[in-house]
Amino acid sequence: MIILRIVLASLLVVIGCSIIVRMLGLGIHPDIFPGVLLGGAMVALGIHRIALIRRVYAQRKMAQ
Amino acid sequence: MSWRSITIASPYTETLFEVPENRVGHDKKAELRRTVTPWGSFSWGYSDVGADIFVGLGLVLGAAAGASNVAFLFAGIVYVCIGLAYTELAATYPVAGGGQYFVLRGLGDIFGFIAGWAVLLDFTIDISLFTWTCVDYMSSLAPALSSVNHPFNHFALAALFIVGLCALNVIGVRESTAFNGFVSGLDILSETAILTLGFLFAFDPHLLVHTMQVSWPTSDMFMKGISLAIVSFVGLESISQAAQETQRPASVIPRTSVALILTILIFALAYSNLALGMHTWHAIPPDAHGHPQMLWQWLGNDQNNGRAVALLAAQVPYFGALAALYVPILGSILLLISANSGVFGSSRIAYAMSKGTLLPSTFARVHPKFRTPVVSLVAFSGIALLELIFAAIPSLDHGVAAIYAHLFNGESGLDFLADLYAFGAATSYSFVFIALIALRLYDPLSPRKFKMPFNIPVTVRGERAEFPIVAVIGFIGIFAILLFTLKTHIIGRIAGPAWLILGIIIYFIYRARHDLPLFKSKPRDWRKEQVEILRNAGELELMDEYIANIKASNARQAGGSVT
Repeated sequence: MIILRIVLASLLVVIGCSIIVRMLGLGIHPDIFPGVLLGGAMVALGIHRIALIRRVYAQRKMAQ
Repeated sequence: MSWRSITIASPYTETLFEVPENRVGHDKKAELRRTVTPWGSFSWGYSDVGADIFVGLGLVLGAAAGASNVAFLFAGIVYVCIGLAYTELAATYPVAGGGQYFVLRGLGDIFGFIAGWAVLLDFTIDISLFTWTCVDYMSSLAPALSSVNHPFNHFALAALFIVGLCALNVIGVRESTAFNGFVSGLDILSETAILTLGFLFAFDPHLLVHTMQVSWPTSDMFMKGISLAIVSFVGLESISQAAQETQRPASVIPRTSVALILTILIFALAYSNLALGMHTWHAIPPDAHGHPQMLWQWLGNDQNNGRAVALLAAQVPYFGALAALYVPILGSILLLISANSGVFGSSRIAYAMSKGTLLPSTFARVHPKFRTPVVSLVAFSGIALLELIFAAIPSLDHGVAAIYAHLFNGESGLDFLADLYAFGAATSYSFVFIALIALRLYDPLSPRKFKMPFNIPVTVRGERAEFPIVAVIGFIGIFAILLFTLKTHIIGRIAGPAWLILGIIIYFIYRARHDLPLFKSKPRDWRKEQVEILRNAGELELMDEYIANIKASNARQAGGSVT
């Protein structure tokens, strides 16, 4: 389960980065803003989830 | 599917409903068990709010066209502020009751009533809107249920669902947290797969920018799109409901809420960007006049806007064939769970308001055998049924359709329900922001384990407090959405305020008959109540901190020294 969650979170980061790069490839203008923000939110959520998983994993290790 | 019976504790820290004796042994007054884990808390919220995008996507695409992603972004920013506000309030006051309780505590009885009454409107609309779209998604696999070609079948099944959910709630059964967790997990997995494959293999940034440039809507339609986009983010009441049953809520709620808020926001933004900038796997059928149409136009038309997510998923490369089969089923289940939370939630809020002397005591009457609030359940499910009839009748009768077209500018049934949903949500959320600001200033002693970011330190009545900037931004945003709703929704601007006026009349009559203050609040000992709330939540460290804060404050007021 934990591996699946790590894969999902990592996937979010990868897709988020890919969206940001592709949107920025069109040049800097207001129309790319929603796409860039979506990519940024995906990266933020992915990192947030990975941090949570790490914290929970560390707590479990300590409990053992 | 496994079912369980549950009890509900009041926002006023007394037990509300009792479980039938045969279910809980001989405990006549069973307290609510705090058995919800962090994942349970997340999935509880997700099964409620996560269903919204299944309703909102098609509606927003139909209104905001090429600016749908911007509409979702605007509503999403407001939603993040609302989510942070609910997280702070639910972690500080971990009781069921949600917005109504926070507003009652922060602003007093009358505003608490108005917020609660607006939430009640939302819950009844939640029941009718989500059963309506549940049948829409089912119609993807069973065309005989289509709202366009077979309106009577569509209406009859939606009405049957409402009656069935009401009956289940009267008996006192509800879906289990484990079932919620399973459906939520499956949906997150499914949506992640759809969006990943969609963005990797079919998304074209050039097409997105092109669609935004050539299909940008008029200002009115853009405002309408924003007000409908908030529909995709309604249901945060579940965060506070989860707080009532979560172990160590002050610690767990902030952790799970942030993940929930970001997940819902990303799905809404991702679907809208994909709908505007995706090359379809199959050809899109032409419109009714034989003209070619783009993906967003096809998803946003009256025939498809109730099942847009399923149709979009079917257009994803490779995965689409499989998604076309299971996404309608998954969507239907999620929507039915959400409709059930409307039946359950409306009865709970009405019961709590009745116990809090905001509504007549008849709403607190419980069934002698099942010990559930039967009057509230039947009354508000009945209202939901009336709303469904009002929404469905133009498609059932051509004469009525002509009257609607004349009076309401041809708004569809789904539009009518979404109008009221947006109105109720915007009204109650506006009050919640004001209540949060008031509670920050006038209840600074309650320990807040989670605070909205960006605060200005101030001193109020000799106590140090923090003024929340994000709450002000959120209030401006949600108030703007309320104004957009009133300006652009023909039915919403009449029916929404009419609902509030009806409620205020009931409130005044009830309070006058019972010699209760009409505009002022009934005296309550909030400090004593807060200690009880924290004790019941198992947050003993916070309870000790709160008591120490009170003692220190009393000492300061008396001019003594504190050690």
